[in-house]
Amino acid sequence: MLSARGLSVSGISKSFQSGGRTILALDDISLSLPAGKVGVLLGPSGCGKSTLLRMIAGLETPSGGGITLNDRAVYRPARDRGMVFQDYTSFPWLTVRDNVAYGLKINGDSSALNEGTVDHFIRAVGLDKFADAYPHQLSGGMRQRVAIARTLANYPDLLLMDEPFGALDPETRWQMQDLLLSVVRKERTTVMAVSHDIEEALYLGDVVFFLSRHPGRLKETLYPDFKAGLPENDREAFLQSDDYRRLDLHIRRLMRDEGRDAA
Amino acid sequence: MTAKLSETATRHTMIPKTATEAPSGKRSDHWFDFNQTIPGAQRFMLGTVGWLAFLLFWQVTSQLEFAPDRLYPGPAAVFSSLQELFLEKGFFSDVVSSVTRIVISFGIAILIALPLGLLMGSFARVDSLLNPLLGAWRYLPAPAFIPLLLMWLGTGDTQKITLLLMGVVFFLVIMLADVTRQTPRVLIETAKTLGGGRRIILWTVLFRHSLPGYVDTCRQMLAVSWTYLVIAEIVAATDGIGAMMMRAKRFVHVDDIMAGIVTIGVLGLLFDILFRLVYRKCFPYLGREQS
Repeated sequence: MLSARGLSVSGISKSFQSGGRTILALDDISLSLPAGKVGVLLGPSGCGKSTLLRMIAGLETPSGGGITLNDRAVYRPARDRGMVFQDYTSFPWLTVRDNVAYGLKINGDSSALNEGTVDHFIRAVGLDKFADAYPHQLSGGMRQRVAIARTLANYPDLLLMDEPFGALDPETRWQMQDLLLSVVRKERTTVMAVSHDIEEALYLGDVVFFLSRHPGRLKETLYPDFKAGLPENDREAFLQSDDYRRLDLHIRRLMRDEGRDAA
Repeated sequence: MTAKLSETATRHTMIPKTATEAPSGKRSDHWFDFNQTIPGAQRFMLGTVGWLAFLLFWQVTSQLEFAPDRLYPGPAAVFSSLQELFLEKGFFSDVVSSVTRIVISFGIAILIALPLGLLMGSFARVDSLLNPLLGAWRYLPAPAFIPLLLMWLGTGDTQKITLLLMGVVFFLVIMLADVTRQTPRVLIETAKTLGGGRRIILWTVLFRHSLPGYVDTCRQMLAVSWTYLVIAEIVAATDGIGAMMMRAKRFVHVDDIMAGIVTIGVLGLLFDILFRLVYRKCFPYLGREQS
């Protein structure tokens, strides 16, 4: 496979036992994501995209194949791959500031703590006024910002996101997508996100990996690089561009074909 | 950015339909509606009404001549003997002995149950090892061990504290393990991807998340402790609330016995309030919403 800085997934498969039968969930998936890019795993529900993400995080073990990040083999969760989940994961007993500082504290990273890393990322996600609030005082969108700031403050090589905005209302979702993009562009973070939302995938992703289901296979890799010619953070220009509409329609067809296969 | 931050402010603007707008003319805030929240003052008043009704019932029935006053004294008699017990009969030292037994035995129970419960709730293999054993011991009634304990440990405090411990510790382990097990998996996984090792996650996530549940479980199990205390002190004791009650029985001092019961009730309530206070002070983050 490619040997470069970034994420490399080669020949990954995952099968599990159910009722005495072996079910193949992911079949021979190979992909690579260069450092500093945003990748999105897109596909219908049941395509195994979350399972693939969890394997990259080291939370699940592949049945075959290998994953490397910056040429180091991935086999268990570690600090270099921080993950933001769809469920709210702010620790309810910690304030926003202590939540964001959690990763640095448990890693004994006092230098980073002293350098104001925590405050930097709290500011980056716009929560400076809420630094001393507890999570139960925050809205869903704000809690996801805490989770993003907490993960980024730990300086992971790769930020993993499992439908992080899936539980948010559409307006907040848009805001969070813009916020995420502005932060990761500034920090040059490599991101791999899971989504089942076409607009979100095309808006966030430098590379979009479309997975089919039963079993999950990498069906197509799309590069929505038309965004380079559009003004940044301009949702309307993005939605109205012909390239977006063309890609959107193309992916909808892929999705429809998946539905047919399942039926 | 300020516009984004105001998203919480607009979340609670939905105003429920008031009763007067209901077309049928029926009030929707019925006296007995499901899931009602009532004002604190009203709650306190209703609680007081319940108590007053009970005291009235006691007073009235004690004045009816179906039992001699000696065997069924009214509230006034019991309260005056309670006063007498404390002021003249040195009952305070009995109370101190009883409370000491409770505190020591429950302290030991927590010291044993907390590490076991934490490990059982965290690791399936520890749970598989200990749950069948400890789970079974729960169903052996502690008082059944009194004859054994008397032979092994004599009639002193060791025997009583052991009995109290046996009555509580097995339940406590299993319940604390259950509390620990309720830690959301996603919090543990988050800590893992932030670079947390097992020991760190055990303390900073599982233990920390379970802490309020631990306090609440202990509060409930303490009530059980008081039950065993009375049993222990009735069987063989020279001091303690239960011992006083047994002495009173010998002389048919029913008012003293009732005074003892009242004392235990009040003590139990005080401990309960103490635990609730600790809960509220230590876990402010559980404010409006369980996370």
